[in-house]
Amino acid sequence: MKEKQNTLILSKGASRWRRLASFCLQGTLLVVTSLSLVAVLFIIYYIARDAWPFFQLNGLKEFFTSTHWYPSRHPEEFGALSIFVGSGLVTLTSILIAVPLGIAAAICLSDILPFHVRQMVKPVIEILAAIPSVAFGFFALVVFAPLLQSNGGTFLTIAFLIMAFPVSTIGLMIISKLLADRFKKDAKAVRIGAFLLLAAPVAWGMIRVCHILIRIPINSGTNTLNVSVILAVMALPTIVSVAEDALQSAGRELREGSYALGATRAETIFKVVIPAAGSGIIAAVILGVMRSIGETMVVWMASGNAAQIPDPWFNILQPVRTLTATIAGDMGEADQVTGSARYHVLFAMALCLLLFSFLSNLISEWIVNRSRKKLGLK
Amino acid sequence: MSIVLLAASLMILIGPIFINGSKAFIFRSTIEFRRLMLEEFARGSPERIEGEFNSCRQARQPVFAMLARFEADLDRMEYKEKSGYRKPFRELKDRLRLLLGPLPGEPEAVMLRQRFGQTRWDRALLCLREIQYQEEWDYSDSSSMGRKVYRPRIEEWRGTSIEPLFSYLSRNLDAMLNPKVTFYWRFLFDTSRDSHFFGGIWPEILGTFYLTIGTMIFAIPMGIIAAIYLAEFAREGGIVSLLRSCISTLAGVPSIVFGLFGLAFFINAVHLSRSKSVLIGSATLALLILPTIIRSSEEAIRAVPQTYKEAALSLGASPIRTVFTVIIPAALPGILTGIVISMGRAAGETAPIIFTAAVSVGNPLKIWETLSQPTPALPWNIYNLATEHEAVDQIRHVQYGMVLTLVLLVLLLNLTAILLRARVSKKLHG
Amino acid sequence: MKLTIVLCLSLLLAGSVFGQKAEKIVIDGSTTVGPIAKAFAEYYMKNNPGVNITVSESGSGNGAKSIVNGSCQVASMSRLMKANEYEAAIGSEVLPVTHVVALDGIAMIVHPGNPVKKMTVDQVKQVYLGKIANWKQLGGPDKPIIIISRDTNSGTYETFEGKVMKGEKIAKNCEYVGSNGAIRQRVQSTPNALGYVGIGFIDNTVKALEINDVYPTPETVRKGTYPIARPLYMITNDYPKMGSHLYQFVSMYLTKKGQEIIEEIGFVPVTAY
Repeated sequence: MKEKQNTLILSKGASRWRRLASFCLQGTLLVVTSLSLVAVLFIIYYIARDAWPFFQLNGLKEFFTSTHWYPSRHPEEFGALSIFVGSGLVTLTSILIAVPLGIAAAICLSDILPFHVRQMVKPVIEILAAIPSVAFGFFALVVFAPLLQSNGGTFLTIAFLIMAFPVSTIGLMIISKLLADRFKKDAKAVRIGAFLLLAAPVAWGMIRVCHILIRIPINSGTNTLNVSVILAVMALPTIVSVAEDALQSAGRELREGSYALGATRAETIFKVVIPAAGSGIIAAVILGVMRSIGETMVVWMASGNAAQIPDPWFNILQPVRTLTATIAGDMGEADQVTGSARYHVLFAMALCLLLFSFLSNLISEWIVNRSRKKLGLK
Repeated sequence: MSIVLLAASLMILIGPIFINGSKAFIFRSTIEFRRLMLEEFARGSPERIEGEFNSCRQARQPVFAMLARFEADLDRMEYKEKSGYRKPFRELKDRLRLLLGPLPGEPEAVMLRQRFGQTRWDRALLCLREIQYQEEWDYSDSSSMGRKVYRPRIEEWRGTSIEPLFSYLSRNLDAMLNPKVTFYWRFLFDTSRDSHFFGGIWPEILGTFYLTIGTMIFAIPMGIIAAIYLAEFAREGGIVSLLRSCISTLAGVPSIVFGLFGLAFFINAVHLSRSKSVLIGSATLALLILPTIIRSSEEAIRAVPQTYKEAALSLGASPIRTVFTVIIPAALPGILTGIVISMGRAAGETAPIIFTAAVSVGNPLKIWETLSQPTPALPWNIYNLATEHEAVDQIRHVQYGMVLTLVLLVLLLNLTAILLRARVSKKLHG
Repeated sequence: MKLTIVLCLSLLLAGSVFGQKAEKIVIDGSTTVGPIAKAFAEYYMKNNPGVNITVSESGSGNGAKSIVNGSCQVASMSRLMKANEYEAAIGSEVLPVTHVVALDGIAMIVHPGNPVKKMTVDQVKQVYLGKIANWKQLGGPDKPIIIISRDTNSGTYETFEGKVMKGEKIAKNCEYVGSNGAIRQRVQSTPNALGYVGIGFIDNTVKALEINDVYPTPETVRKGTYPIARPLYMITNDYPKMGSHLYQFVSMYLTKKGQEIIEEIGFVPVTAY
């Protein structure tokens, strides 16, 4: 990347008047630009200012460790642990769904698919990214939730098959290749034999799982699963485009060098390109996390809003409550006039969200900068 | 493979929205709909509608006659028999009122939704089904919830003068309601009547429009100036890298935090307006999209070839003149692309406007009112109608229509951006 | 480019042609009273074209807050103001005057496919405490009970908590939704659900249960035999000036038309004795 030449700095011969005018102008521009800095500072200040009274009144312990969220009782209880867990669970599940799909899609887009297919797919991704979140939420509530409720088992089975089939196929191929290398005999026959041999028990296992899944009733369609799938669809465009940019910026030379050394396409992708773009991919994942955790409308409409830690914790078929939905929903009762704890606790939650997004941002920038330095400012 | 999943999910998402949303615009409407249009919006020719309504009235006459006959019979019945029929008869009349509108001889109802029969043919058919079949639940299976069973209601009325009513209704419903396919494009321009039961979504569209324009008024100047500074005048150093990380931080803040900030700062601290208003909503949304505009404008400005600048400077133009007369026009398509995409984002965001600008019901605002009054807006009203309305399933078509409108609006803006971008790359790459 | 500018300007002009309202009344508050407020507003605006009435439904608590800080003229609430709200009002020199516009009962609703017909108040409490978790304990099939409640910014919730839960905590796995309409929608699409709504929201897509052997109807609410009943309020800052639009709006519940509207929505007019 070329260093931007600043051709607008005045030469030494310019008159003082001109210099002064230019200085003032640059100063004004700087002031306007620093509005964003001012905005960030103001946001932190005002949110912290309204969050501080809560911590003054109630302290940190209850907020972060108790799971009893009863803000309208007397005495009030503000244990937000289950809400934090809810946010975390929803984000985790959606990332688990979105990251493999997103990275696979990015790899396909940058390395495998021909150019004109890429040109067709990019608009699809952009359209998916542009759809407003309330439309997603509407879909989740009106179409997806009843679907889950009436055909719960079927949906779970189909999702399981979609996830497990490619994973198991690839896994089996890898294992059979390893075995064939071990034996060093007629490679192809051994490979195919091993594949078939292992395929049978794996397929049987998958069928058993399907049988179990199809019987599970989903009692309530507004639960973690619903929200996670929709959030994954929302986060995918972000992950795909940032990851693809990262993969592209790894540069043709790297790929050509690898091919010149005799590597196959798969080897190039997995051993050369991905590690080179590693930091960019991690940045993409972090961006996806930030999108999922900050989403409000979808979770407000479709997560069930039950302030509980599901039992067991990974039970994604139960409703949960997230930080963003609590802020949006509870603001109605917030009584700023009397300075009640209910109003301030919402700001406390917003502060936590804000701090988390700052941290993620810092981490992703640090990772990108570090890898840039490693690759020599590439 | 994952691409296929992506495309499939897009189809699954958009499909129902388009299909059901178009039903808000194109549907078979009945005579009741045309009468409503005439009375409430003064649309259509009174003579033609009166003529249609007269023929419908003729078709309905036998129904009313049967009802009247049964009333007379009821008076003559024994007490025991009478009490058995009284409640079902009242319910039957209620359902007929839902289908056909007020029965003759009744005082005019106050609420608009009770002054007309069904305006949509598909709902009219549902009503007819309601009349003809009793939805009962078969609780015999004690291990699961009841099963729905449809029992024809005609059984209850055997031997009375109501009995021929049911078959008459099903045979003559189209004569009574006169359905015709209508393209209700005015859905976009009518205000809603009787909390969205009838009418259109104009206040919401206008509100979204005001919010978007207001956001742009706030964000474009600040964004472009910041982009110019960062691209042309800034020297890489401590302050500038601090500014850059601030911009990317601002981009990562969750949207609801912006909403809370708008509440805490613009309403409570600065008192920009006494209550919620479009002004405050626009300011909040402007903060939200500022990073996007700065980033895309900066990219566009950087993409302008060096030669343009050098040529201008060599002709003796001052730096600031160069910027405004040469660089900005050259970068304009790129900047516009960024602006249009941000407009799409601002139009679709809900969380920042919940506390700052949105109400559920209100009249379309005049321009000067936007400084101090809140407004209904498409994203917020979609949420409101889908969860908080009192008759959610009866106005499904309105909800879908709103979602369709919003999605189409955003898609249109994005398509414009894509086309602009294609033009830019053609220009810059010869 | 020029075309876009022209288009924008013409849209703005078009926007300014619609809506020629001068005086405004802002109503904020309960989602239970919301349908009444909206119907009153529409009726009033029809007969008085110079007035613009906006209605938001964000919860009784929000209505109280808005009237105290002056951002609305009428707060619709389904509960009385709490002590600290009164204090805040007096502190801001707002004198809350409460008008009772209608009576309401809180009905427990289930999916119509649910065979259970009645419960006692105590059973409802046990279910919401989490102690009764399966329909078979109430005489229904062997299915888990999904409890749904209003979000805590709601007056309906406060009434339910006061009259049924009597101050005890609702179980943690209870789902929360934002309005009466949302509860009804959840219950009608979830066979195992149990929720509560105002009686104006009962229709034939859900089934209301008899509580303590009394079925929730306008008659039983009016007579006081239905155990979970309450008035619905509209609060103004001091009594509105006689003859002003606000005065006429707020006293609409006393007129015949107003009462017809209330009845048509499904609530109980105050004067229906």
